[in-house]
Amino acid sequence: MRIYLDHNAGSPLRREARDAIERLLGDDVANPSSVHRSGQRARRALEIAREQVAAAIGAKPRQIIFTSGGTESNNAAISGAVNALPARRRIVTTAIEHSSILAPLAELESKGRDVVRIAPDSEGTVAAADVLSALDRNTALVTVGLVNGEVGAIQDVASLAREALAVGALFHVDAAQALGRISIDVNTIGCDLMTLSGHKVGAPAGIGAIYVRDPARVTPMILGGPQESAMRAGTQNLLGAVAFGAAVEAATRDIGAEAARLYALTEQLLAALTAQIAGLSVNGPRDRRVANTLNLTFPGVLGETMLIALDLESVELSMGSACAAGSVEPSHVLLAMGRSAADALSSLRLSLGWNTTANDLSAAATTIVRVWARVSSAEPRPLAAESLT
Amino acid sequence: MSARVLVAMSGGVDSSVAAAILRERGCDVVGIAMRLAPEGSTVATGRRGTCCSYDDFEDARRVAERMDFPFYVIDLRAEFASRVIDYFVGEYVDGRTPNPCVMCNRDVKFDRLWKRARAIQADFVATGHYARIERDAAGRRRLLRAADPSKDQSYFLFNLTADQLARTLFPLGDMTKDEVRARARALGLRNAGKPESQEICFVPDRDYASFVERRADRAALRPGRVVDAQGVELARHAGVHRFTVGQRRGLGIAAGEPLYVRAIDSTTGDVVVGRNSELGARGLIATNVNLIDPSFAGDSLERVEAKIRYRHPVLPATFRSDAGGRAEVMFDRPGPAVTPGQACVFYRGDEVLGGGFIERAL
Repeated sequence: MRIYLDHNAGSPLRREARDAIERLLGDDVANPSSVHRSGQRARRALEIAREQVAAAIGAKPRQIIFTSGGTESNNAAISGAVNALPARRRIVTTAIEHSSILAPLAELESKGRDVVRIAPDSEGTVAAADVLSALDRNTALVTVGLVNGEVGAIQDVASLAREALAVGALFHVDAAQALGRISIDVNTIGCDLMTLSGHKVGAPAGIGAIYVRDPARVTPMILGGPQESAMRAGTQNLLGAVAFGAAVEAATRDIGAEAARLYALTEQLLAALTAQIAGLSVNGPRDRRVANTLNLTFPGVLGETMLIALDLESVELSMGSACAAGSVEPSHVLLAMGRSAADALSSLRLSLGWNTTANDLSAAATTIVRVWARVSSAEPRPLAAESLT
Repeated sequence: MSARVLVAMSGGVDSSVAAAILRERGCDVVGIAMRLAPEGSTVATGRRGTCCSYDDFEDARRVAERMDFPFYVIDLRAEFASRVIDYFVGEYVDGRTPNPCVMCNRDVKFDRLWKRARAIQADFVATGHYARIERDAAGRRRLLRAADPSKDQSYFLFNLTADQLARTLFPLGDMTKDEVRARARALGLRNAGKPESQEICFVPDRDYASFVERRADRAALRPGRVVDAQGVELARHAGVHRFTVGQRRGLGIAAGEPLYVRAIDSTTGDVVVGRNSELGARGLIATNVNLIDPSFAGDSLERVEAKIRYRHPVLPATFRSDAGGRAEVMFDRPGPAVTPGQACVFYRGDEVLGGGFIERAL
């Protein structure tokens, strides 16, 4: 039996999502844009999914645009805002965003935009005041992740909306790692745009959404037919959408109780590891974190070796980010938090989710302690890692 | 329980086939590929971004999926840069001709793979090298040439110790290249017919001089004179790193008879050239010598066959070494040009006795 502790990379398919897909496959549905009855049934299924996603974040269904996932939504938020406000040259973000924010912003920067990246504190929390001080009337967009996927820090985004509005900038929140982990209400946050991802809540990868408060304020993402309010042309991924709707409904139903359950599990795991691994340290806030995420620096070992050794013993977790070839890179989030490259390379992320049991975690704790002891004596962290900056 | 084997996989045909063979024999195979060269320096990664491409290890992944064993990519770029590339550049700057593959095997691959193997409780490390390991009557492991002489890579492995040999597997050692290619085709490997690369992995364009100039401290480069044996200046040159002993082309001299580099003095910057007949050495001094059977070291004269370059036939010689890892090798007949910095490997028949790095010609 494998123990899967990598929900922040992708949560396994929920039963509700699987059922929704199977129901749809058993039904002869067609293109949701078609006039005929088969098209009408498809349209109905799509709109139910849209209502489910909207309800999960307190939005109106027409404010939800289905996309191919979080990366597309983040790219669309940036290009939609920047194209809508071409005279404004500044974009404000943080140093710990997902690559689907940082890479398009780097591209815009190379073309002459002024990109301000606010550094977090040592726990991965970004001070709202720092973001606010970077805002000016030249700012087109403020984009901040609600939950950091690597260390679990929850950012105080609600206080940013009013100030962004005051200077006339658009405010985007990347909630890919927040959906299903904490309660979200777009009206409380007051954002213009929000990124949502399906596979982080137990839908398949390939479906996501972007919340657009007022479509008139941003430019369309993909041009073509009139689908998705003409914001995102192209026949919808109906199988993905119904799975997303069902998964997000399940993920947000008892969100408080589930968070409490996962918080207790991570605290137990942390207590067990701390007691047996001298020098273990936690990356990220102890309190203002999502319940499911723990990022730990293991003394004297390479995270890469731990990852492999644990995988061979059926415990699946990750370092923050993997490259295309499958090897691991030092996490830019940990580096931004002031950790050394060597410490970043000794860090692992455990992220729990809907299928994680108490038994899983106690077995994982035992395995992690045993593997750490073996790895730290067999392959102590080499000095060369220190020079990797 | 079957033995766990860590198989070092390059993504190429040989190591992919090696892994498949071990899997078929029932081993618990764990495939590990190493990222070594810095980005942008290999042909396959000539694209932008900080990551190497998925395709780099395509064949390795294919075999892993097909044969159902776990496969991982590990990052040894930092160590490779400090242990191999810095050494490579430093040797050229000092007027020697380095052998980065030998250094990589000794200081990066085998060292780290052995530690990694212990970390994952692997009993053996295997590679796709063409070489054989045999156990003699006394139970001692011996390193032998590959069965296919045209593929033999034992030259690059002289730094292995007897302990390491006892825990190392070379599944291709008894196979010919054609047999390996046939296996690769049967496994559906994409690179089954691809010619293997001969160049140094981090200098794919083979322009070593430019590479050294990009990496080295400019002040360390040593320009100087090209001189004949009498010290008469024949030309000027831009740096001793542009030369290797035995080299003929690119000397910047028009002479009636072909001229070759005989010696390089990085202190004065002099590159001494001469005619082919003046190149031969009587022997050499090697340092950093590893003897697979350490009891072979000693003051007695031993008969060996010395291989002074990978693609050079062996030279019958006598050998004497001290405990400090220094050896004196005297060829039976005056040999060809001896290139400081290259590895000299000592054979007796098919057996690799050990080897070292050439300090100077005698």
